[in-house]
Amino acid sequence: MRIVVCVKQIIDPELPASQFRIDAESRRQRPNGHPLVISPYDENALEVALTLKEKTGGTVAVVSAGEPSAISALRKGLAMGADEAALISDPALAGSDAFGLAVALARGIQKLGTPDLVLCGCESGDWADRTVGPILAEALNIPCVSFVAQVEAQDGRLRMRRVVEEGYEIWEGAPPLLLTILSHESNVPRYPKVRDIMTASRRSIPTWSAADLGVEAGGMGKAAMRTEVQQLTLPSRESRCELLDGEPAQQVATLITKLRERKAI
Amino acid sequence: MPGIFVLGTIENGIPSRSTLELLTGAQRLAAGLHEDVCVGLLGPGDASSLYGYGVEVIYRVAHPLLKEYQADIYLMALERIAQTAGARVLLLSGDSLGRDLAARLAFRLKAGIVTDVIEIDIEGSEKMPRFTRPAYGGKAAAVIVPKHFPVVVTLKPRTLDPAAPAGKPKGKEVPVEISLDPAQARTRMVERVQEETTGVKLEDARAVVSGGRGLGGPEGFTPLVELARVLKGAVGASRAATDAGWVPSSMQVGQTGKTVSPDLYIAVGISGATQHVAGISGAKTIVAINADPEAPIFKVAHLGIVGDYKAILPPLIAKCRELMGS
Amino acid sequence: MDLGLSPRQEIFRDMVRDFAETEVAPRAAAVDAEARFPAQTIRMMGALGLMGVAIPEEYGGAGADTICYVIAMEEISRACASTGVIMSINNSMVCDLIYKFGDAEQKRRFLIPLARGEKLGCFCLSEPDAGSDAGNLRVTALAEGDHFVLNGAKNFITNGREADIAIVFATVDRQLKHKGISALLVEKGTPGFQVLKEESKLGIRGSSTCQLLFEHCRVPRENLLGGIGEGFRIAMVSLDGGRIGIAAQAVGIARAALEASLEYARGRVQFGRPIASFQAIQFLLADMATRVDAARLLTYRAASLRDCGAPYTAEGSMAKLSASEVAMWVTTKAIQIYGGYGYITDYPVQRHFRDAKVTEIYEGTSEIQRLVIAEHLLG
Repeated sequence: MRIVVCVKQIIDPELPASQFRIDAESRRQRPNGHPLVISPYDENALEVALTLKEKTGGTVAVVSAGEPSAISALRKGLAMGADEAALISDPALAGSDAFGLAVALARGIQKLGTPDLVLCGCESGDWADRTVGPILAEALNIPCVSFVAQVEAQDGRLRMRRVVEEGYEIWEGAPPLLLTILSHESNVPRYPKVRDIMTASRRSIPTWSAADLGVEAGGMGKAAMRTEVQQLTLPSRESRCELLDGEPAQQVATLITKLRERKAI
Repeated sequence: MPGIFVLGTIENGIPSRSTLELLTGAQRLAAGLHEDVCVGLLGPGDASSLYGYGVEVIYRVAHPLLKEYQADIYLMALERIAQTAGARVLLLSGDSLGRDLAARLAFRLKAGIVTDVIEIDIEGSEKMPRFTRPAYGGKAAAVIVPKHFPVVVTLKPRTLDPAAPAGKPKGKEVPVEISLDPAQARTRMVERVQEETTGVKLEDARAVVSGGRGLGGPEGFTPLVELARVLKGAVGASRAATDAGWVPSSMQVGQTGKTVSPDLYIAVGISGATQHVAGISGAKTIVAINADPEAPIFKVAHLGIVGDYKAILPPLIAKCRELMGS
Repeated sequence: MDLGLSPRQEIFRDMVRDFAETEVAPRAAAVDAEARFPAQTIRMMGALGLMGVAIPEEYGGAGADTICYVIAMEEISRACASTGVIMSINNSMVCDLIYKFGDAEQKRRFLIPLARGEKLGCFCLSEPDAGSDAGNLRVTALAEGDHFVLNGAKNFITNGREADIAIVFATVDRQLKHKGISALLVEKGTPGFQVLKEESKLGIRGSSTCQLLFEHCRVPRENLLGGIGEGFRIAMVSLDGGRIGIAAQAVGIARAALEASLEYARGRVQFGRPIASFQAIQFLLADMATRVDAARLLTYRAASLRDCGAPYTAEGSMAKLSASEVAMWVTTKAIQIYGGYGYITDYPVQRHFRDAKVTEIYEGTSEIQRLVIAEHLLG
């Protein structure tokens, strides 16, 4: 089975809140030299792909549309076990919204070779729009199931566990499909082994421009955005936590008193 | 006539809670932009109660294939209804259906899309609708404006208050025809499993006791279940606990789990990662119990106890039992 | 001169940091409080290739370089200094040794499983009467047919309890002084080889530090590492490399204390402002950061020389001397910044302080490092 995984490189979302700074002008987080990582749910998607490949054979390709720095995210994908990788990067694509990105990704995926399965993280660790995956499915004209925790291949068809509010549903369908992946005990991303990191560092990863993909730069980038961020602010969170002292019995007694004062009980 | 469209659901003649939340947003947009509100329904059922909420028109597709949710079929019906209504702003709930369909609908309508909205207002003289949503896991707040209409908007569930009845009940229903073929359904549901929740629903509970990685294992949840029972509340969990398989994922509170806004939220053995905190921003009083005094949860909690939950919970349960007289 | 990391070194660093933050750090407090060997973590590290980082792949290693090794040592030690020293001994003092001085059969039998992390090693040089004076060994290795017979006691041996394979330095003739020292590979379970005692320590409590006893322990001749009388040189060469690992461990400990201090200073409010807004604290943090960076750069420099095949003895000693003294200073100041809370065991800075001290002592005391550097300067 041919699987393509779309990954996005973002500033590490696990940074302590005290180091989080925004640039009010560009309305983005300030990079400030913070480490760049693969968006967490995209790593879960990669793990799902690699597990499927181990169970049923086939290949896994990893692709990203973004800044040139995303090459290191793709290299990590190779180190984890992906067979090939490609970067879509072009100044003309900078600032594209989900619609623009999806078109670029769709062309890139088609250039890699029509896959049986496309996997994306259910949402990115920075903006969490949850839009690129489903829109990419539309651009590729393939069905989409979102918030999938587990995938199995059976006789050329796929079975997915889709998470919903009250529990989960099992869906099935024939490839090609696009799934957006949620974290689950079965898809905790593997750590790449050191020797695989060394091997992956020697692989070449092509970078494709808009022209390479036959994408009209006119329909992309900031100019084509259908919505825009007018403002980005830090909500003031001045709540000071009151730590309660003493032995457990004392702490509990104080807690109850304070909860009653706050009318929480 | 272009207006504000809400995708709603009716249960036994009453609009669902999420529909009422959407109608609050719709009413605000309608008032500010001088537009009318219409509701789209996919399925049969008496919907006349909607008129009491200022709804001018109900567009309805009633087709047998809509009886059970299937993404492709629902999307086609939704697209047809949206085209018929011709609205400028389309509001959907950010529930599992919205997650599946909203962005795809926007693609087919060539509309813009804004998701996870927590606040809607209209900007001054320009009469521009502004949509506020969390960004960076809730560390920041972004205001999004459409540069282009139509625009599809999903609301974060349980954030806006449900609408109050407004105006005299009047309106009309417009049936929308569509021909649907089962072969157009490219996936099918094989099984649905409702994970058992005894007692109060997590999203509705006035008190929530949640457990995380610090509990050490599924057995760690036992005192939490008891405390929740005494407080007449519900039990939740962090992503660490659900990802480890200790409790069902339907108990997850957080960015990709449930958003809760109880009067009391007690976080036990939860470190306080941003994606968890994103799910409890509406909680009135947050109590954190954790052995690590430097856990980020203590930066968002109102009251904190640094210690071993196994030593804290039994006296806490006993004291609460006394208070509640149960 | 490019002081930055290559892209693959960055990916490597990110992987180890991610692993350290997710798997190692959460266990560190318990490992210290219970003096518990982190067996599960070490197993995972072995599977990833971290127990033989710079050993070539053909011998079971990860095929990376010394720079990667010090990156890994710093990241792991930042999360847990005990885990760091366990890793360091296996890499620098056991695998490297067998790689440099072992014959083909010894590499096959011992190096491959050790580098893969399937087995754990320990380095047995110190004795009750031979610490800094390492040439004055009392443990004897007397030839008896096709065996050597070991007799005597070793002390302060890291990984002593858990190790499967020990490199034991013993003298074939005390009269020859250090020229009589030979190195032998001894497998746990060999009759006459026992762990006599495990010490209770101030810091790095998750790694076992043991007294080992050899009583008529018969070791096959083919387990001789290098030649007879070559043992002292072998020990010195391995300590050269070991120092770089310990320097990186010290940098990791110092960095953990510095990061904790930064976070604490930002949040702790006194006299109406965060203490990070007071110059006294700002100056302290600036000095801490400068010293940690300098120690790290010295460590990278020594690692880089080693990777180029250049001599690195003095530079390794400089790195170890500097990093260990920086770690002690930074962790002391970190407790000062935390004030009373720094003294409470709920908070990690006291553990960093206790862990830091040993880096000034083992793998050559600071005094020995100064002698090495002086000898290099004065010729």
